[in-house]
Amino acid sequence: MDESQLIARVRAGDSAAERALYDAHVDRVYRLAFRLAGDDALAQDFTQETFIRAFDRLGSFRGDAAFSTWLHTITTTVVLNGLRKVKRFRQREADIDDAHEIGTVTRHAEPDLKVRLKQAIEELPEGYRTVFLMHDVEGYTHEEIGAALGVETGTSKAQLSRARAKLRVALADFAGEWTT
Amino acid sequence: MMDQHEDPKFEAWLQDAARTTYHAPRPTPRDEMWARIEKARRHKPVIVLRPWMAWAVAAAAVLILGIGIGRWTVSPTGSPTRVAVAPSDSIQATGPDVVYQMAATQYLSRTEAFLTSFRADLGPNHAANSARFASQARDLLTTTRLMLDSPAGKDQRMRSLLEDLELVLVQISQMDPAHGGHDADLITQGMNQSHVLPKLRSAIPAGPVPVRTEGAL
Repeated sequence: MDESQLIARVRAGDSAAERALYDAHVDRVYRLAFRLAGDDALAQDFTQETFIRAFDRLGSFRGDAAFSTWLHTITTTVVLNGLRKVKRFRQREADIDDAHEIGTVTRHAEPDLKVRLKQAIEELPEGYRTVFLMHDVEGYTHEEIGAALGVETGTSKAQLSRARAKLRVALADFAGEWTT
Repeated sequence: MMDQHEDPKFEAWLQDAARTTYHAPRPTPRDEMWARIEKARRHKPVIVLRPWMAWAVAAAAVLILGIGIGRWTVSPTGSPTRVAVAPSDSIQATGPDVVYQMAATQYLSRTEAFLTSFRADLGPNHAANSARFASQARDLLTTTRLMLDSPAGKDQRMRSLLEDLELVLVQISQMDPAHGGHDADLITQGMNQSHVLPKLRSAIPAGPVPVRTEGAL
């Protein structure tokens, strides 16, 4: 059975078809949610929310683009909005904590590559980080990214290029690892 | 022509390093998530708008918006026109409902952000944060109890959600900082079993808080 038939059965209320459609796409949705959120509980919440919205709105899916493209648009919207909420909440808490820590000096040991890479990726602007993770880490094409984020393909390419340039500067200490 | 910033060796190294070390996902917990999706969808209220209903809703929205603008822009000293509009029963009936709706949406959004953050911050540092979480939970608990005593408590679905939230917030507010991690695990398990977060999310209108509440004005 091809995907359009499966979608028609879901629209007709076939619960087995719902599960089949979920099984066909859940890995990619969960992986992307996890890469962006970095937390299993959040990734599960975002994945669930994505499929709940997708099933509720399947009537508005016209089939102009691939179902996976439509689904990844919902995924990125759910994840990015969810992360903004969590970030705002954490920032408020951090501001309170900082108020109690004025005058203290923190010394950092030289971190290893894993820590430095994590820090560098997290310091990227949201758009650069999203495109970098979708393209270089999860293997989405620029066309898929453009459709999911609602930007031109050229914008996706430009953001990836800028993300890599920033990461290259941030990871310059490790240049020996890629030049040899 | 190769862009001056391109460096295939760096890009290959970066991709490999990021794929293997940055937020590497565990195997997808398919069945756990599917069970929660099914449960949340079963509990979600479904309103199907027929075309004529959509027009009726749109017309009502325009009417309420117009009345709202009128009430905001009329001078406080009054005028004959204002006197003619103000006594309408239907207009007076919408006032408290709109205020209540806004308050409920903001309360539910705040609680959702708090519980999401509580779950996400589980980990080695969680015990250290338990006092802060407990204090925030106490604040939300006060609002929850006010909501339970408000007209919201008369709606069976909302009452059930508020009671679930009250239970979770009581547990968080009483966390022992010495056993914060263990207590938090138990609370999170309870939240997962009672599907508090999916129920909470399905009760919140879509969109960011300002968007959710602006229609009410």
